[in-house]
Amino acid sequence: MERALQRHRPVRLRLLRWLTPLTVFASLLFVFSLVNRSDDAADAPAAADVSSAGTGGDTEALVAELQTAVAADPANAANSAALGNAFYQRARETGDAAFYSLAEGAFAKSLASDSEQVTAITGQATLALARHDFAAALELAERARAIEPDLLAPYPALVDAQIELGRYEQGAATLDRLISLKPTLASYSRVSYFRELNGDLPGALEAMRLAVSAASGSGENAAYVQALLGKLQSDLGNYGGAERSYRLALAADRSYLPALAGLASVEAGRGDFEPAIRRLEQVVEALPLPQYAIALGEAQEAAGQLAAARDSYGLVEIQTKLQEANGINTDVELAIFEADHGSSAKAVELARDAWRSAPSVRSADALSWALSAAGDDSAASRFSAEAMKLDSRDPTFLYHAGMIAQADGRTADANRHLGVLVEQSPSFNPLYGPRAEQALEDLR
Amino acid sequence: MRSRITPRRLAVVGSGLAAVAIAVPLGIGSSHREALNVMLDPTADNTDTYAFTADDAPGALTVVANWIPGETPNAGPTFFRFDDRARYYIRIDNNGDGKPDVSYRYEFKTKLNNPDSNLYAQPGTTGFDDPKLNVEQSYKLTRETTNKKGKTKEKTIGKNLPVAPPNIGPKTFPNYGNFVDDSIKTLGNGTKTFAGSRDDPFFIDLGATFDSLNIRAGTGNEGQGHDDISGTNISSTVLQIPESDVTNDGKSVSGPDSANAVVGVWATTERRKLEVTNADFDVQTGGKIGKKAKNGKKAKNNFVQVSRLGNPLVNELIIPLGSKDAFNRTTPDKDAKKYGAFVVTPELAAVLNALFNVNAPETDRTDIVQAVLQGLPGLNEHSGKFAGTAVDTLKLNLGVPPTATPSRFGVIGGDNAGYPNGRRLIDDVVDIDLQVVAGFLKGNEVPLGDGVDNNDKPFLSTFPYLAAPDDGFNANVGQVVQPAHPPVPPGGN
Repeated sequence: MERALQRHRPVRLRLLRWLTPLTVFASLLFVFSLVNRSDDAADAPAAADVSSAGTGGDTEALVAELQTAVAADPANAANSAALGNAFYQRARETGDAAFYSLAEGAFAKSLASDSEQVTAITGQATLALARHDFAAALELAERARAIEPDLLAPYPALVDAQIELGRYEQGAATLDRLISLKPTLASYSRVSYFRELNGDLPGALEAMRLAVSAASGSGENAAYVQALLGKLQSDLGNYGGAERSYRLALAADRSYLPALAGLASVEAGRGDFEPAIRRLEQVVEALPLPQYAIALGEAQEAAGQLAAARDSYGLVEIQTKLQEANGINTDVELAIFEADHGSSAKAVELARDAWRSAPSVRSADALSWALSAAGDDSAASRFSAEAMKLDSRDPTFLYHAGMIAQADGRTADANRHLGVLVEQSPSFNPLYGPRAEQALEDLR
Repeated sequence: MRSRITPRRLAVVGSGLAAVAIAVPLGIGSSHREALNVMLDPTADNTDTYAFTADDAPGALTVVANWIPGETPNAGPTFFRFDDRARYYIRIDNNGDGKPDVSYRYEFKTKLNNPDSNLYAQPGTTGFDDPKLNVEQSYKLTRETTNKKGKTKEKTIGKNLPVAPPNIGPKTFPNYGNFVDDSIKTLGNGTKTFAGSRDDPFFIDLGATFDSLNIRAGTGNEGQGHDDISGTNISSTVLQIPESDVTNDGKSVSGPDSANAVVGVWATTERRKLEVTNADFDVQTGGKIGKKAKNGKKAKNNFVQVSRLGNPLVNELIIPLGSKDAFNRTTPDKDAKKYGAFVVTPELAAVLNALFNVNAPETDRTDIVQAVLQGLPGLNEHSGKFAGTAVDTLKLNLGVPPTATPSRFGVIGGDNAGYPNGRRLIDDVVDIDLQVVAGFLKGNEVPLGDGVDNNDKPFLSTFPYLAAPDDGFNANVGQVVQPAHPPVPPGGN
């Protein structure tokens, strides 16, 4: 435990490094917005072509190229929009939210030249999704679609917004149109998610395999879908397959954090705490996201390193404040974190906010778990039913639904949910896996 | 649809800004997907299509179809490859109606000899038989024929054909040529095929062309352009088909005036559609529905066309953003109706006038429609009832023999064996398009160009004609600059 503590300390020190550049960044953004405009240059005819440049290859070089083009011709709305997309892709690659603000600036610049620039409006919708402002995302994506009804680029953001707002039938219809007209990486991965939400994990796996196959040479996007495939395999209890997928994602990008975290979760699930903790410390040090700090804390707690775990949970709180300060709407997972490791009253408050702004099965699950932690079993059961209305087979959903049913005296429901969980994904979490098995034993 | 362009590595000014701005981590929820916003699909993206009669292969149609733009040679450890789940097509229309009559379908399959290794190959791998080669891609080639009623028959003409791997470097592949030699296959009826990595034969100064035609020297006719595609590779299919397999009467072409002489060529990519809700899914068991319980419901997972390419630069210069998706999924027979208007009043003509005051006619450009979509009468216009139909295919008169000393300007350079009569590897389509849009065919001859006149590497005189790919160890992207030369008059004449 002592060793773990020592190793953990640098993580908190490093956090300072993340805090200070905020101000640096703000001044940079100001400089960026001062890039002067001139009106004499005509729009290059092929601007639309440059604007569709994006994924794969070297995004940094693409950013540089587009910055030069924008500086040479600031009124070219398509190039500014393309620059916004390149910044967004850099955010995905680095995990650095500063690129969100740079993207936002580029989209705003584009729209200042052409208020109907669809690529920029679609980009704004994507940014709104990243900030979990799903209602704004929906409005923006619909606006983009209204301007160019035959263009499919706004559809992915539209699908995401509809699904996150709990409008599943609408989302399915939009997604069906998208994949019928253009089956690509972006549509395959969304079909996979939709099937997953509806409990069809094998079907989700099939769709994600198509996404992985389509992603050859697409850099971060390839690693992204490969890691999602690993998560699905893990949910289905195929831990060997999951480990292989995570390693393939790491082959595409050696420091791809979601894959490192996935690998750690497989290790922690089977009780290999030491390598799991080491890996998660590496991940948290690189990028102290709440979800990674939670995974680290839970692995430490499962390994009996309680003080270290407390430290990690403390890091979650700091990160949350930091993100709120940066205008990012913290998500339902923090409500679940509060229910598991913090204040149940705070959990209920966060989850109610989430449910009000986006009544999805995800928010219902968080609210049910928060209410359960606060001791309101009958309200918890009501929202649990809402969370399970699509027949989810997500291990966390199943765990919550099973434990809530047990607490509320619904033995048959508890047996059913926990039975599926223990059979399908016994090692989904180092803390809750064993608890689910114990609960099931108690029930039988 | 050459949608992605390899960025040149310049501009220190801009990249500094991105490098400094390391700050707040993302607020991605683990459960909410930080979803992909790109609609790009490089593995399905057609970059260029070529159709010509090769010097060493009279009596055959030679087609080069390329995919996956911007392949940097050092993109290890996974590298670029064709998607095993997509279908890649070379299409041929032999009556001018814009619908495919004969199609060649490439379907790929990848085998990992050691599934636990991510390495492409171990050092000193000498060829396809070497067990040190880990990633092996192969393909099946199927010939489809479609009759007047739209009914398609198919026949597999090649199986387990090897794909030439990317050239990782001299230490891994000391004899890269072995892979190339073994990837050239002659099939039963004399059809030759190749698939795999080659040097991208396209050449263009992207910076100059797309920065409001910011031409570097003269009017782009004095060289000095930067070849941004130089040093990049491409995933290529090359096919050489006996004329009798592609003409409308099943016979060889006797001469340029023969009724079967003109064929239209383009390339497409298809992907499988998926049902959003899987019809095979059983919610009770969480698995597949048993065959008996299916109730006749069956998943409909058809293939959908997601990309096509006939004439170069049509997608870039002519089709507006809002129509690009529709353009990429339609067949050429719909082109006149859907996209004809964009050709008749090309935006580029107005831009050329604004920038250079060249008196390019801005409306009623039937000359461009004829050159690009209908075929030039007496040269590459289809004969018969569909003569003059406007379709985006590369129309090649197979009866026109190759020229001994070809002009990179093709037909406007007085060389009838080049673009827009088909398209050869050497044809300088950027300069040709600029001059044609400026009004060359209406007598307004302006010496416009991008300052890049030819590919960075010489083409081969024999199959597969494309130059060898750059290797990953010696990768050097976008560094070639065209030497300065005296001004070249319009059409090179």
